[in-house]
Amino acid sequence: MDLLSKTVDSLWQVVAVGLLLGAGLPAIFALGLRALDSGSTTDPAAATTTRKPAAVIAAGTCFAVVVVAIITGILFVMQGFLSHTFGIEIF
Amino acid sequence: MNAELIVLLVVVVTALGFDFTNGFHDTGNAMATSIATGALKPKVAVALSAILNLVGAFLSVEVAATVAKGVVNLNSVGGEDLLFIVFAGLVGGIIWNLATWLFGIPSSSSHALFGGLIGAALASLGMNGVEWGGVLSKVVIPALLAPVVAGLVATAGTWMIYRITRGVSDETKDSGFRLGQVGSASLVSLAHGTNDAQKTMGVIFLALVAHGTLNADSDMPFWVKLSCAVAIALGTYLGGWRVIRTLGKGLVEIAAPQGMAAEASSAAIILTSSHLGLPLSTTHVATGSIMGTGVGRRGAEVRWGVAGRMAVAWLITLPSAALVGAVCWGIAQLIGGLPGVLAVFAILLLLAGWMYARSRRQPIDSSNVNAEWDGGLIPAEDIPGPPANPTPAPAPAAEPAPRDNVTA
Repeated sequence: MDLLSKTVDSLWQVVAVGLLLGAGLPAIFALGLRALDSGSTTDPAAATTTRKPAAVIAAGTCFAVVVVAIITGILFVMQGFLSHTFGIEIF
Repeated sequence: MNAELIVLLVVVVTALGFDFTNGFHDTGNAMATSIATGALKPKVAVALSAILNLVGAFLSVEVAATVAKGVVNLNSVGGEDLLFIVFAGLVGGIIWNLATWLFGIPSSSSHALFGGLIGAALASLGMNGVEWGGVLSKVVIPALLAPVVAGLVATAGTWMIYRITRGVSDETKDSGFRLGQVGSASLVSLAHGTNDAQKTMGVIFLALVAHGTLNADSDMPFWVKLSCAVAIALGTYLGGWRVIRTLGKGLVEIAAPQGMAAEASSAAIILTSSHLGLPLSTTHVATGSIMGTGVGRRGAEVRWGVAGRMAVAWLITLPSAALVGAVCWGIAQLIGGLPGVLAVFAILLLLAGWMYARSRRQPIDSSNVNAEWDGGLIPAEDIPGPPANPTPAPAPAAEPAPRDNVTA
């Protein structure tokens, strides 16, 4: 039953992290898009879009979180390479 | 040049061939959704994925000769016996990869390789050649869990995305999520290159050790890394359009928000699961994620018939590849030595050529990969591509495509 407990142990972690990052990050991204959309008014005649600063900041924060997460993901893929080649331990 | 060296060369070439099929079979895991939603033009998508696979392959650091460690037990054999097993296993993996590609079924390349090796090991070493506990924990259980976990995460992500962006203009949604989709798909491609290219590197390393060129403590030679990286990137660039079509169009009709939910789910699960030692297959995760986005979006249709065929293919991947691996080992052993290896290699080339010719009768490529899903993999003629992607012209079939059993 060692196999079962080991599998269950890593399984719940994969589900938890998966939900947090795999579903949470797209949700944050969606929040950013919503902030961007709701804070902007488009003037069709002048073909310009004006945005409220607060909305832009909120959207920018959301997108920044997602970008940081993606960079972290890339570093995660590279961690073996970095520690093996340059001796840098990042995680 | 002696016979042993030629055997080694054939094994290395076959390993690179497997790496190549691994690349084109798995392009869809990362890029099918981006292609289906029009976030990237088909050719651009496969080129991006190929570059990231190439980079990813160089990032892998597997140094030890651990091929399918814990699944097959190859410690007791060495020399030519070991080369025979590895060779037969590779042939089993390639043939199964090509067969599933012909039918447009995304199936795990790792399972195909494991299956081939298990079959060859069983045939040569008997029951002792296979570690059944490892088969259960590294192959069977992950295969059952992956689609469920990925489906769950993608369903949750899709549901939240649609809820949050209710009322947001379609234009903002489309352009925004397409960008997010490309980002997350790129991450999947990079992770794929890192994980999958090193499997072939391990196989070639093992072959070199068996031949005596290297010892088990040597560093991975640079030419092995380079050739594996190039093989998987070329395969990815060629694009397994048939598999891409099934994943992007066949399972679920995907919109950009769903595409991002699917790829984000795949990326998160692939990265965390390999870190936590639960070896989930990229293919199973990607497929589960795509199905999840269909479940999570109200009104979206999941084609359970397509999903069912896929599930059947997953179930029989291991035994089928094992059977081919065992038969190939038997043929090579029966004829013996260099002629045996060359005979099996010839069979491999013949079968691969036949399946390629078969695929050309009803070609699927970048021009018709997004054609309307009309009950089967082969698009009906005269149906233009969907508006999401303006480039593809109607399928330019070289001859009237007979709708035979490939479409079933």
